[in-house]
Amino acid sequence: MLAQLVDMSLWESVVRALIPVLLAAVGGLICERAGVFQISLEGMMLAGAFAAVAAAHVTGSALAAAVTAALAGVLLSLVLAFGAVSRGGNAIVLGVAINILAVGLTSFLLPQLFGVRGSFQPEGDVRILRLALPGLSDIPFLGPVLFNLSILGYLALLLVPAIWLFLFRTQLGLRLRGVGERPLAAETLGVSPTAYRYGAVIASGVLAGLAGAQLALGNVGVFTEGISSGRGWIAVVAVMLGRAHPFGVLAACLLFGFTEALGFRLQGQGYPVQITDALPFVVTLVALVIARKRFRRLLDLTASTV
Amino acid sequence: MPERIGSRLLGVVGHPVTVALLVAFGLGAVVIALTGGDPLAAFGEMLGGGFTGSGLRNTLSRTIPIVGMALAFSLAFRSGVLNLGGEGQMLMGALFGTMAAIVVPGPGPLVVVVAVLVGAAVGAAWALLPALGQTVFQVPLLITSLLLNYVARATTSYLVRYPFGEPGAAFASTVAVPESNRIPDFQFLGGGISISLFFVLGLVALLAVVYRRSVFGYETAMLGHSGPFARYGGVDVERKTLVVMAFAGAIGGLVGSHLVLGETYRYIDADMIAQTGFAWTGLMVSLLAYNRPVPILFAGLFFAGLQIGGFAMERSTKVSWQLAEVIQALVIVAVVSRLAVTWRRRRRLGEETGPPQPEMEAAHVGEV
Amino acid sequence: MTTELELRGITKRFPGVLACDGIDLTARRGEIHCLVGENGAGKTTLMSILYGLFPPDEGEMLVRGRPVRFNSPLDAIRLGLGMVHQAFKLFPSLTVAENVIFREEPAKLGWIDRKGAVARVRELADAYGLAVDPTAKVEDLPVGVLQRVEILKALYRDASILILDEPTAVLTPQERDRLFDVMRRLRDSGRTILFITHKLAEVMAVADRITVLRNGRAVAELDPAATTPEEISRHMTGRDVEPVRAGPSPSLGDVVLSVDALTVAGVHGLPSVSEVSFDVRSGEIVGIAAVAGNGQTELVEAIAGLREATAGTVTLRGVDITHLDVAARRRAGMCYVPEDRHRVGTAAAASVSENLLMGYQRTDTMKRGAWLRRGAVHTHAHRLREDYAIRVSGIDVAAGTLSGGNLQKVALAREMTHEAPLIIAEQPTRGVDIGAIEFIHTRLVAARDRGAAILLVSAELSEIQSLATRILVMFEGRIVAELDPDVADEAEIGLHMTGGRVAGA
Repeated sequence: MLAQLVDMSLWESVVRALIPVLLAAVGGLICERAGVFQISLEGMMLAGAFAAVAAAHVTGSALAAAVTAALAGVLLSLVLAFGAVSRGGNAIVLGVAINILAVGLTSFLLPQLFGVRGSFQPEGDVRILRLALPGLSDIPFLGPVLFNLSILGYLALLLVPAIWLFLFRTQLGLRLRGVGERPLAAETLGVSPTAYRYGAVIASGVLAGLAGAQLALGNVGVFTEGISSGRGWIAVVAVMLGRAHPFGVLAACLLFGFTEALGFRLQGQGYPVQITDALPFVVTLVALVIARKRFRRLLDLTASTV
Repeated sequence: MPERIGSRLLGVVGHPVTVALLVAFGLGAVVIALTGGDPLAAFGEMLGGGFTGSGLRNTLSRTIPIVGMALAFSLAFRSGVLNLGGEGQMLMGALFGTMAAIVVPGPGPLVVVVAVLVGAAVGAAWALLPALGQTVFQVPLLITSLLLNYVARATTSYLVRYPFGEPGAAFASTVAVPESNRIPDFQFLGGGISISLFFVLGLVALLAVVYRRSVFGYETAMLGHSGPFARYGGVDVERKTLVVMAFAGAIGGLVGSHLVLGETYRYIDADMIAQTGFAWTGLMVSLLAYNRPVPILFAGLFFAGLQIGGFAMERSTKVSWQLAEVIQALVIVAVVSRLAVTWRRRRRLGEETGPPQPEMEAAHVGEV
Repeated sequence: MTTELELRGITKRFPGVLACDGIDLTARRGEIHCLVGENGAGKTTLMSILYGLFPPDEGEMLVRGRPVRFNSPLDAIRLGLGMVHQAFKLFPSLTVAENVIFREEPAKLGWIDRKGAVARVRELADAYGLAVDPTAKVEDLPVGVLQRVEILKALYRDASILILDEPTAVLTPQERDRLFDVMRRLRDSGRTILFITHKLAEVMAVADRITVLRNGRAVAELDPAATTPEEISRHMTGRDVEPVRAGPSPSLGDVVLSVDALTVAGVHGLPSVSEVSFDVRSGEIVGIAAVAGNGQTELVEAIAGLREATAGTVTLRGVDITHLDVAARRRAGMCYVPEDRHRVGTAAAASVSENLLMGYQRTDTMKRGAWLRRGAVHTHAHRLREDYAIRVSGIDVAAGTLSGGNLQKVALAREMTHEAPLIIAEQPTRGVDIGAIEFIHTRLVAARDRGAAILLVSAELSEIQSLATRILVMFEGRIVAELDPDVADEAEIGLHMTGGRVAGA
């Protein structure tokens, strides 16, 4: 039975499940390095998914959909940047508020713009372009798993080493890390924490928006209310578990991808859908307990009211 | 003299809450206009529909879960504990409270009390899970309480379909709660409102007194201001965290039980999932009211009225009722962003409000 | 000698406070210029202006004869000013080299030249005798080395004017002397050093010229060869000041606090406190002298109940409190004025009255059953405010608005008013103006005379020397010496503070 469960097509779906969470998690990672708690990845993903579907419906173009999704993420991220960075509001509470706002906005616009409730399928069958890399995609096992992804999928995987290089080998990356660790020290040396934090938050908006586009248009091509179903939160946890390190975060996202793919498999075998729905979250909770003692900063921050 | 009145007036007008309301309704008007509606008509219907006639009755009914969940959230938040798991605590309490009301034998009022207590206990237990995660394992309960929401949804969905469900029903639901075991209504404005309303009002009063005058209230408030300070003063931080979460979860469970035993009279999966919104509305109300019980009551009434008004608005103007949720969220975003208008003072770059203090830390560079 | 830096009539106002009042200062090239003054005299504000954090309300600054205006620290850095901060503004997880090059990284198209950076830092370090490993992470370095990194930061940016703000607070006497050597080397290479301090011995040791600040004004410009510490002190305070000397204690009573073989775990497997034993009797002040980071903080936290001890016992008036929680220890007769008054000793968002209650909310005077006696709480707060001359507009005002000295008074007032048999005071006068220092010292001595047992931990040797009945020196988690303050001098104490050895490379 194990051999039945764990075969190549499982790994394909692992990677597919991994992509949206990874995109959002990289955004969260950048913010964490800059010293901003990014809790609103869930809302930005949802907004991105909606925007992608809306744009796909109107223009029929996947490219336009992706761009619009990124813009939606950016718009919400500006709310976070302004409220938390410029105005000094509590980033965690603001993040929760933005998540609620995203739910409200998408639930409102769905009937308001398209006259439907619950879910919406755009005209024409718009999907994010999938690219099978010639030659590489024929390699046994690795080929179909890694080299037959959507464009956003390649982007997500390439971002991991790219962000590593950025953080640890470039000027901007060094300054970003300094800003996140000791903003006052950075300021006295002429590096503006505000500028870098805005940049980080906006980047996370772009990535979370794209993650939403991938969710909506990557496989199924439909927007349903609550389509993000907690993946934004999984991304937040992935950043925590991975200690804001690109490869650690990738590993955490991989864990999630695996449990989600496994869950679908078990569903196919007849297990109740609720168990498989809960599985990624339970696994994440267990991972958090196992990985304890890494979370001092978050603990200290939440001990203060608005 | 005129300057004092002027600055007082500005204090009210420029207050974060006022500015937030203006910004939220302003943006809401823009959204309505952009999507083809009439802002003034929409707002008129919304405010009228929520606060007059039968709408007022519905608003009062809706106030029960909103204020209840707000009180639950505020109890934890003012103590520095960010409980995002209200949803899950509500659902779990609701389901088990319902089953208790169905299964437990005895005279009606007694069963109701028992059922409601079961709901509270289950809600408290569900909240204690993340609390223990934090106090024993140092895993932030902010995250774990939220993740447990999804686990709660899955758990209740499963339980209501298989062991607890009504066999052969068209949709996932328990059997109806026996009539004798329901929370009764009282009559107001031509219809019924659950007597749970009085309980909520009582809870507001109780918490207001406890926060201001009790040792527990003082210690939790100080904990909310600064954990290290409270610990230094002899406050048992771990124990307070557990107690506060247990109470928050218990209130959540009570609210959930009310939603079934006082309103729908059966636990319907899809229905309850939709009602988890109350937990988030409660959170927003608490933020708007700065965690204080009496302001929570008024803010809760206001938000409840907006939501009921939203339904009325959709019936008359075809503007989708979720606009109310959008406006609510915008208000909170604005409040948290500390938008305020202050008395004009020339502020230059880097000007502090006082002379800089000589730096005092011993150079423990490794510390956060 | 050419004038490198000139300040004319620098004035800066804050709401309710005139921090700088027409300050004039002239510093020459190749000179160590000491800026002295008490806490609150305006030194920090002046340096913040000099460093570009904010502009002055009036007055002008000239660098090398040209008028300048700084809109940000970057402008100041560009003109050759380098600030060596007191609380080191370094990034713990970054390496020494990364800290030094931050914002001025040698790079091509955004890509950092890491080898070049390390080489350049090594070059500078060797040139000025600042021994440090460029590839070490700052968080792994001991405190005494961090200062060298700060100096390297300034030198890397070609600073011609270095501003050192109270640099010796965290150094042993030996490390301080090495710093002075570095300063002299830098001066001889033509740089201008602005050395800010309130310690007169240091001024006499190293200054070429002295400017004294008092109440925001520059009241004197002196030549160290032609003046004395007493004269400088008189300029600083405007009167003849005798530091509070505790004098002999009227009566020495029973042992109140007994610490026996106390051990506390630390990081990397090494204990931070190792088998420490000592007693404190009623009527005596035991002073613990130690350089930051030698376990004294952990020791105090273990005694106070904020940290677990792994071995040993703590006994308070015969009761074993080793495993009791903080509340129980307070009931047993302990009170504690912590080092970190902002994070631990007070809560900025809470009112003054609420701050004055903390720790005592469960005593019978302050509560009845589960409810607070609000009248008693208010009376208590009002009384303390008066007794301790805490300057605040009302007791319901948030404590965060108070100045450092007043905040410390809040913490002290609260702790000392219950006349506990044991008082633990950690860095009680750090960052506090001299009027408040006198006040606090007087109160401590009065408590001692009343029969309290006081454990005093301080990095200010002069404070320990003037107040302590006995001095215990702590080094690397152990008590390494017990000294008599009337006999031992600063050099001897300092030697023990470094373990009896010269500070390592």
